[in-house]
Amino acid sequence: MMPIWTKSGKKHAVTLLKVQDCHVLRYVSKEESGGKTSKLLVGGKNASPFFKSESAMEIFKEAGVPRKQKVTTFNVTDDAIIKPGTPLYAAHFRPGQFVDVTAKTIGKGFQGVMKRWGFKGQPASHGQTKTHRRPGAISTNKAAKVYRGKKMPGKMGNIYRTSMGLKVWRINTKHNIIYVNGSVPGHTNCLVKVRDSKLPTYKDCNKNPPFPTFFADGDENLPEDLYDEEIFQFTDPSVTY
Amino acid sequence: RISSDGKPAKFQPPPKPVIIDKLKQIEERRFLSPEFIPPRGRTDPLKFYIERKDMIQRRKVFNIPEFYVGSVLAVTTADPCADNKASRFVGICIQRGGKGLGATFVLRNVIEDQGVEICYELYNPRIQAIEVLKLEKRLDDNLMYLRDALPEYSTFDVNMKPVTRLDHEEIPVNTLQVRMKPKPWSKRWERPKYNIKGIRFELPEDKMKEAQKWSQPWLEFDMLREYDTSKIEEKIWKEVSEALKK
Repeated sequence: MMPIWTKSGKKHAVTLLKVQDCHVLRYVSKEESGGKTSKLLVGGKNASPFFKSESAMEIFKEAGVPRKQKVTTFNVTDDAIIKPGTPLYAAHFRPGQFVDVTAKTIGKGFQGVMKRWGFKGQPASHGQTKTHRRPGAISTNKAAKVYRGKKMPGKMGNIYRTSMGLKVWRINTKHNIIYVNGSVPGHTNCLVKVRDSKLPTYKDCNKNPPFPTFFADGDENLPEDLYDEEIFQFTDPSVTY
Repeated sequence: RISSDGKPAKFQPPPKPVIIDKLKQIEERRFLSPEFIPPRGRTDPLKFYIERKDMIQRRKVFNIPEFYVGSVLAVTTADPCADNKASRFVGICIQRGGKGLGATFVLRNVIEDQGVEICYELYNPRIQAIEVLKLEKRLDDNLMYLRDALPEYSTFDVNMKPVTRLDHEEIPVNTLQVRMKPKPWSKRWERPKYNIKGIRFELPEDKMKEAQKWSQPWLEFDMLREYDTSKIEEKIWKEVSEALKK
């Protein structure tokens, strides 16, 4: 995470996400998947091809791509289908766009009710016998049962969570890095899924995105760094009012 | 010249002059700002490389001078609420924290009997100028104890003139031992955890002995806490100096 300053002098914290060897693996049509739209399987970081069964490696062999550590699906409209085997780059996103980021949260293991659900617990003194971090009552008398989904101690973290509506401030095309506003679930160097935002406020935010994706064939030569309009770039002189 | 035998003497070339390159002597003193050294962790070195590029870019446009904890600085920041839209603050640097672009330094001064500390970010674009009025080091890396010291040690004239010093001199270390206000202090500075050498403790002997009870003599031998930055510093110094020379 890094600080970033706008032209008016405000500071924002920014997370750096690196697009590492992403390839499109397979196209699944609407009828095959049974959903409302067709899907594209996309694979992330490269990993070793050993210690994996033949059936799992089939997808990668078909696409002609080394084995990927993580495979995710994206719901895609029919006009945005990409041929399997095309690499995906950070330039697929543009500064000023809004993005949802999904990742597995940091696993905290088996945790008690105060840390997991934010219960208040009991006082430390004034006669409490062996009761300082316990949940207390779990149901009422009339119910005569404990409801399903009662907040109780258990394994905390290591589940998928999404941060919605994060602004993209800057894109580095040389190293394939996306600068995303705010914090993102997961530990450092964990695998993350970045998708165009589904929030209704940002429905019309994306003007002229690279559609269906950014192809690095050599037609467009993008500059090494793409900045949002409001960012203070370090080549400018200091901010004055 | 004719030698004693009468034969012409063999040509003796004149002694080679020894060139003392003063520029090279000066360059031997290197200063790498502490925020360039990456902290120990599991972050990708690529992130530090990219952050360093941004820091170097900012340093090319805006000069960030060399300074240490204990030097007196004057900082002018752009302020929309002040007259001339700029405000100047003079103070002694008591702490330098943070790594990378978020590096900060805290300046302390006593203005009209009120102690004021301001934490500035080195790479904040609102900073118009940083001048070093007096470049010196102190016995400690962290002068937070000045909050509990007598106010005369933290007062500096707002219209102080910069102290001239020659380029190739070594940075002077001020061995000032500061006198403290009566206890209670904000932190128990006599304890060995803070390892402060710049205070003249006027506490009784038994209090000083009692403070030594909290000493942890095994800490300096703990191998897991060792973080040798010499090689990393060399690489980063080369990278930064080459980039700044261009």
